[in-house]
Amino acid sequence: MSKKQPKGEYIETDTGNKVSRRSQIIGTTNIILGGKTVIQAEVIIRGDLLRTYPPSNPSEKQGNTVAVAIGRYCFFSRGCELRPPGKLYKGQFSHYPLKIADHVFVGPSSIIEAALIGSHVNIGASVVVGKFAIIKDYVRILDGSVVPPNMVIPSFSVVAGRPARVVGEIAEGEVDGMDLREVYRGVGNA
Amino acid sequence: MSSKRASTMPAPPKPPTSLASSLIIAEHASLTGTHLITLGPNTVVHPRARFNSAHAPITVGSNCIICERSLIGFQSDAAANERKGAVIENGVVIEVGAVVEARTVGEGTVVEVQAKIGKGAVLGKHCKIGPLCEIAEGEVIPDFTVVYGNGMRRLDSSGVEDLKLKMVARQIEVLKKLIPSNLAKFQ
Repeated sequence: MSKKQPKGEYIETDTGNKVSRRSQIIGTTNIILGGKTVIQAEVIIRGDLLRTYPPSNPSEKQGNTVAVAIGRYCFFSRGCELRPPGKLYKGQFSHYPLKIADHVFVGPSSIIEAALIGSHVNIGASVVVGKFAIIKDYVRILDGSVVPPNMVIPSFSVVAGRPARVVGEIAEGEVDGMDLREVYRGVGNA
Repeated sequence: MSSKRASTMPAPPKPPTSLASSLIIAEHASLTGTHLITLGPNTVVHPRARFNSAHAPITVGSNCIICERSLIGFQSDAAANERKGAVIENGVVIEVGAVVEARTVGEGTVVEVQAKIGKGAVLGKHCKIGPLCEIAEGEVIPDFTVVYGNGMRRLDSSGVEDLKLKMVARQIEVLKKLIPSNLAKFQ
């Protein structure tokens, strides 16, 4: 029994990104989507929190203003949020770009303020990833975890808890399950 | 879920507001309710922040940062001693998705991501409520308390409150340039 999808829930771009009409993406010019990425409804992406360069080189034109860079085959579930982290560095407050690699799955209602997320990462539901956290490749973050700011999560780990701690390792076989191509194909449009 | 269509329901009530001129309020912030909402100078309200004054007025001080998806305001009727509604003092940072129904949020307090502050709670100055933490209704949190993990508390005796307030001020300077303000929409 398949429910008839509402007309055009997803807008599909040339590069195969499927963006829901009900997502709330701010500052779209500063967001890079790698391709074949799915953004579900009510996802907030703050592309407006740009890096404010210190005026050390005023003549140099700011060509590359990227706030959020996302890789291929990523999946952002309903209600999650991607926010570039900001901090006070040498007396100057600035936001820093959020870089996400390929095949990253983010569960519903999670809030990501990390600096860097590696490839094949599976983030559960209602997860809070603190500012400037660095998540390496092939990591699974279980539901409801709170990753504290500045934490570095090594590759192949399973992380859970508040504050999040490494509770296990990704088994050899599980690695294939983190590929999101099938998930991408499953996202339908009427 | 039905597809998006032009809204046929009447728009939610637009509350009386008193907005300072140096306030930065994003266009997609939402102010609803019937009581007065006061937002102080130099405060930044991110898009998708929600203020609901249906049951009691809301007062926000200066130099505050209210992030996305946060929900400020009483969700059910105020008791007799809570007629003043929700008061958020100066220098407070309310992070993404936090639900603040507190009667008072003291100066310099940080309410982290998705924390829930129950109705009528009183938060002291320079507190920090960690992510996903919950404060019960009517609870009183003393000054300088840090609430974290699974209900654990400790007192913050590092003495850096002034530096934190300065940090918030710096953050606001930067946010002022990044978020276009739309005061007229809410006045």
